[in-house]
Amino acid sequence: MSAPAVSIKGRAFGDHLLLALVILLSIVMIAPVLWVIGLSLKDNAELMADPNSVFHAPYTLKNYINTLGTSSVFIWVRNSIIVAGGLTLGTLILSSLAGYGFARLNFPGRNILFIIVLFGLAVPEQAVLVARHQIFSVLKFHNTHHGLILPGLSASFGVFLMTQYFKAIPKELDEAAMLDNAGRFRIFWKVLLPLTLPAQATLGIFTFLGAWNDYFWPLISATKKDMFTLTVGMASTQTNFAQSEGIGFLMAQAVFAGAPILIVYLFFQKYIVTAVSGAAVR
Amino acid sequence: MTADIEIRNVNKHFGAMAVLEDLSLSIKAREFIVFLGPSGCGKSTLLRMIAGLETVDSGEIAINNERIDHLPPGKRGIAMVFQSYALYPHMTVRDNMAFGLENIGMSREVIDARINEAARILEMPHLLERKPGQLSGGQRQRVAIGRAIVKEPKAFLFDEPLSNLDAALRTRTRLELAQLHQRLHSTMIFVTHDQVEAMTLADRIVVMNNRKIEQIGTPMEIYERPATKFVAGFVGAPAMNFVEATLDRSAENAAARFADGTSVQTEIVSNQLSDGKHTFGIRSEDVPIVAAGQGNADGVVEVLERLGERTLVYARLGDGQQIVGSDAGNSRVAVGHKVGLAFDGQKSHLFDETGRAWHAREA
Amino acid sequence: MADQLTMPQTAMPAAGVKIPSADIYAPQWRNFMFVAPFLFFFTTLLVFPLLWGMWLSFHKADTFSSGKFIGLGNYVRLFHDKVFLQSVWNTFYFVLLTVPTLALIGLFLALCLNRRTRTAAVLRTLFFSSSVLSVTIVTLIWRIVFIPNVGLLSTIYGWFGATAPAFISDPSLAMIGIAIATIWWCIGLPMMLFLSALQQIPQDIYEAAALDNANRWQTLRSIKLPSIKRTFILVVIIQIVLQFQLFGQAWLMTRGGPNNLTKPIVLYIYDTAFRRWDLGLGAAASEILFILILIAAMAQYLVTRSRGDQT
Repeated sequence: MSAPAVSIKGRAFGDHLLLALVILLSIVMIAPVLWVIGLSLKDNAELMADPNSVFHAPYTLKNYINTLGTSSVFIWVRNSIIVAGGLTLGTLILSSLAGYGFARLNFPGRNILFIIVLFGLAVPEQAVLVARHQIFSVLKFHNTHHGLILPGLSASFGVFLMTQYFKAIPKELDEAAMLDNAGRFRIFWKVLLPLTLPAQATLGIFTFLGAWNDYFWPLISATKKDMFTLTVGMASTQTNFAQSEGIGFLMAQAVFAGAPILIVYLFFQKYIVTAVSGAAVR
Repeated sequence: MTADIEIRNVNKHFGAMAVLEDLSLSIKAREFIVFLGPSGCGKSTLLRMIAGLETVDSGEIAINNERIDHLPPGKRGIAMVFQSYALYPHMTVRDNMAFGLENIGMSREVIDARINEAARILEMPHLLERKPGQLSGGQRQRVAIGRAIVKEPKAFLFDEPLSNLDAALRTRTRLELAQLHQRLHSTMIFVTHDQVEAMTLADRIVVMNNRKIEQIGTPMEIYERPATKFVAGFVGAPAMNFVEATLDRSAENAAARFADGTSVQTEIVSNQLSDGKHTFGIRSEDVPIVAAGQGNADGVVEVLERLGERTLVYARLGDGQQIVGSDAGNSRVAVGHKVGLAFDGQKSHLFDETGRAWHAREA
Repeated sequence: MADQLTMPQTAMPAAGVKIPSADIYAPQWRNFMFVAPFLFFFTTLLVFPLLWGMWLSFHKADTFSSGKFIGLGNYVRLFHDKVFLQSVWNTFYFVLLTVPTLALIGLFLALCLNRRTRTAAVLRTLFFSSSVLSVTIVTLIWRIVFIPNVGLLSTIYGWFGATAPAFISDPSLAMIGIAIATIWWCIGLPMMLFLSALQQIPQDIYEAAALDNANRWQTLRSIKLPSIKRTFILVVIIQIVLQFQLFGQAWLMTRGGPNNLTKPIVLYIYDTAFRRWDLGLGAAASEILFILILIAAMAQYLVTRSRGDQT
């Protein structure tokens, strides 16, 4: 992945120009975040008097204490964990089973069904949203955890990913296991599933992240304050933004909500990048 | 445990393409059978049909007089060693061997006893707790064989198990397989395209080509009395010399005359041969190099291959026909020399237009 | 040869009886059980709502029932609704603002960061990191950048005694403000896609080019750019599909204002269906969006599909 190591004189100027551009873009990436962190550490009154006070002491953790003091935040975090966790678990189970089925087993109508499932990749959420909302109204699924989890279980991406992954495992392993008297489910459970752990990790983190960050469906389905996910809940507290009396407080909330995700990203970077690129290209 | 295997009138198609046509074969108990043939001849398909990994379009396969072709692979009482070994990568060697036994509900004590015994036979007790990824190619091969042994199967099936090993290890493993067969006294079927493996391991070789069996016989039968021109050309290195010839059948034994006038008196009975064209065949070791004018024909040396114990001499006859003869390891012959070629009539073969072979009467 | 093919004389018990041969790859209904759980959710939560949504778009539907059938009435209303037409235009305008910028900056970053150095790795991590944040956090960050008085932008302008442009309230700038936040949020994916395409160029091509005395500009023009041409098209289409679905940024930053000038189609659907509870009209609008996205998705499929032909 490295550029060719050919040294040609006179390219120093171009190099410096490119470097300057990249540094500029990096600053654009970082500066807003630093600004947010800075504001979150300042007292509101001081901030109102002079925005430049961000650059010097005194700093305070008061805004963070207030954030944690907002009782709703913990309920929202809990809702997000339940929804993202449930959806991740469900997606892993359904996708693994279906991926094994499509990749390894034969049943009537298999190929046409797989094509229909692939077609599901092209259906945007908005195309099913209105009808789904009506169905969930009838079933009284709104403002429940399962109401937030269920829609995600219909996503085709996981099945697609797991099918590809199962197909890449040599068929001789199945055949050896058949000669070893293992049935279909035992081959799936004992022989193949352990080999798909990297794909499970990729799909799991991708699904969790997607569910954690999802805004549209929770906004529509969870209308009661104690059923908000963190993403929706935080958005709901921003209405009095213009008065800017709570700017430090809002910024502390943003940091509080964003930091864990960024830490997760730093740890599982490899899987996340694989999953996101894979989901895009599919 | 051991068993005889009976294959009767078996046919196999992949789509419109026939892979095996009306194939029959009897394998005796305790026999080491090798399916030998070029790639695509159907040998692996036949093995996989015995294992139950491929369907049988028509015909029957029986083990110990019981039909098995309708049974799923696991119920046939056979074990298979795959070319890629197909070890379960996430299981230790011990778990790899135990898996098949656990699946039939065998007790832990019996499983452990069998694994320990197999590990002892294969000299790998120290590898039992490792995973396949931590093993060398040769060690994986042993584990694959161990996984077969613990099942105490009626028959062992090997699908080109040596082809992923380097040359030195292949020779050693070949030897160990032969010893294992003597020790286990089990029926073994071994698929390969390597004639040396076939010659060294087999009690009987099944030479296959183009959807059917060309010949079944002991290694020496295959080598000395090949049934067809294909077998004659496929087995043996360098390949047998083939020369277009016309026959003189006036005497009791036929004489073959080459295009350049060379005549070789064979010991093949004339009256069994037909009229049409024939091909004369002889192995290089049956064409000793002699002084020019002393043999059946003279040729000019083009290439020398010194193998150590003997020297292969590639000589060209007057009409351009190339013949490979052999000389002593320390042969003084040099490229460009004119040499004599002495064809051994007793070791000569004739092939008719259908490819069928005729040999000298057996001594 | 005939003498070697000894026919077995012992009679087999089942000889001649036709028993189906064991086929481990035969189609079997019980294998269907593995895909059935997923297909249940897929059918009930995707296929059915998709069809039901199409059905609804021909009705005067409310929250609980499909109401009266009005044929193409909803579609006629849509095309007479200035706000809807405005939202379609807004969406295209937004796509036009973001997609080329994302593709070009992504390509630029990928070309610069396609190295094995530690700095490049850190910068790659940095540029992708914003992509993992939720839209709520992203909009919060950018509102605090754009906001007057305590905003980062106005602070910086303040150092030079100038007044910062009002990215959120100025009608001609509001959409650009949303676009900037979006580009900041989404730049990671195009960069990563370009990087993986660049890494698929075999190293020996560079070496051959170096032996041919190609300079860096020539290497870029005649090796790198041609081999990622297809990826470029792919990135553009993917981004079109993604940015067509603009909602959160517009809703949270401007509420679609001023004067509906930043109201995209999805926000129109949200407003219509879930704030005015005109579900039939909302469904019709979402069908229009679906068709637009489907066209882009088809293009993506064709580009992905023809990959094999060229290489």
